[in-house]
Amino acid sequence: MATMNSESSNNSNTAQTRVPVSSKQPLQTAKSVDTQSVLKRLQSELMALMMSGEEGISAFPEEDNIFCWKGTITGSKDTVFEGTEYKLSLTFPADYPFKPPKVKFETGCFHPNVDVYGNICLDILQDKWSSAYDTRTILLSIQSLLGEPNISSPLNNQAAALWANQEEYRKMVEKLYKPAS
Amino acid sequence: MHSDSIATNSSNIIPMASSNAKDFAKKKRVNRSAKLKQCKLDARREQWLSKVNKCSSEKEDSNGVRVLGPLSKAGNVQGRAMEKLEIRPRGEEENHGLHIHHYSDSESPSNSPMSHNGSILGGNDSGTTFTGSSRSSVSSSRSSSSSRSGGSCSGSMSEEDEEGDDECLDDWETVADALAATEEKHKPDDHSLDTDTASESKDVAHGDSHPDDATGAAPDDDLKAKPENGISLDRSTVKCRAWRPDDVFRPQSLPNLSKQYSFPMNPERYFGCGGSVWGCKNVRPAPTSCPICYEDLDYTDSSFIPCSCGFKLCLFCHKRILEEDGRCPGCRQQYKNESGKVETLLDGNSLAFRLARSCSMVTRS
Repeated sequence: MATMNSESSNNSNTAQTRVPVSSKQPLQTAKSVDTQSVLKRLQSELMALMMSGEEGISAFPEEDNIFCWKGTITGSKDTVFEGTEYKLSLTFPADYPFKPPKVKFETGCFHPNVDVYGNICLDILQDKWSSAYDTRTILLSIQSLLGEPNISSPLNNQAAALWANQEEYRKMVEKLYKPAS
Repeated sequence: MHSDSIATNSSNIIPMASSNAKDFAKKKRVNRSAKLKQCKLDARREQWLSKVNKCSSEKEDSNGVRVLGPLSKAGNVQGRAMEKLEIRPRGEEENHGLHIHHYSDSESPSNSPMSHNGSILGGNDSGTTFTGSSRSSVSSSRSSSSSRSGGSCSGSMSEEDEEGDDECLDDWETVADALAATEEKHKPDDHSLDTDTASESKDVAHGDSHPDDATGAAPDDDLKAKPENGISLDRSTVKCRAWRPDDVFRPQSLPNLSKQYSFPMNPERYFGCGGSVWGCKNVRPAPTSCPICYEDLDYTDSSFIPCSCGFKLCLFCHKRILEEDGRCPGCRQQYKNESGKVETLLDGNSLAFRLARSCSMVTRS
């Protein structure tokens, strides 16, 4: 599954190979006292997420590692991303939720605040993180970020420049969109 | 209520009581030092107990009224002080004893433990049935005198309680027995009357005297558990607002009466002196689990609102956040007054209790 994803997204091969290594590493060292509480938190989040049945977002842990989740978001209606679906990887640190998870696009996303490696520039994933956030709110935030980018601090300057022209932008999105199979 | 009924037969009690005022003061002083000793040297409790028993038997002996105790005359200072004290009620009791005893038993809730005390003491002291009745007459005569001088019901109630306790300190273990065994229902009534009618200063003094009594209490060998229960009951009713239903230190022998007091008070609703903190609690839907760690919130956690935005979390997560950036997860604002927050909240709670209590007293009196 992971290998298929990395093959399909050809513009971020180096990032894809790095992700599993960096995500497995903290798990091995995360034998601290509050591992149990992190586990409980993540399990509860998973339950809540599955019970909520939120439209347009979903997430589930990788088969053997609850610290590494795969999520999907779909582009909201009436945005240039409508009809597209994006896969993301979420890697939770051992001191989650006091520290934010690392979230990356696995599917290439032409967006002013997403770089070619899938890194996301979103304040709540960095300095504006709050332990009250969870996977659901993260995914919803990213979903709304798609339709409302922050043009003033872009990671993808081309996308930021093109954002003003929504029709052209839509064409660019469709052109670059390579759905995960 | 006492003064009316007792006045009919206590015309010669009052002078006696007042003439022995100095002895009482002396006796009190002796008692106070004894109490202090008690607090410090709790290990010598048993020794002290036997000493008191000797004294009680000795004073019976010296009065020549009845000698039933097998113990010999000790003749120490304490015994003499007690002897002086006991003369008045005993002499009085020869005249009115039967009547008063009967009367106090039926009439006053605070007197009845004393008379019950008599029977229990008799059992402990191998049959000195007399001291019990004399004690009851002590308290009854005292109450009548104080109510006479004070002329108010509240004065008689509080003073009687206070002095009666003080006086019977030497036999406190028996009082405790009696309280535990028979008077668990009478006691709350007594104290509710007390707190309702008594003035604040008296109540403070009252509250002070009780912990002394409690520490000075020497439980009997065979009835170790019961006196403790009686004492804790007594203390808790004095400071009854301090116990919350789930308080860790709340004695288990307080099933109903503490709740009866604390629930109608409902300090969170009526005396939200804790400020917006307590007000928020009722408005917001209270989460049952911590939003950070998803662990269940216990009572302390759910009453803990560290931020003015009302965001709740458990104490562990709060501490963890304070160790890091110290910002509220709900509003991202820096926690104010970070470390002492828990303590101030708890203080505010007890303050609310205290205020509620004084408020009720002010409005009633």
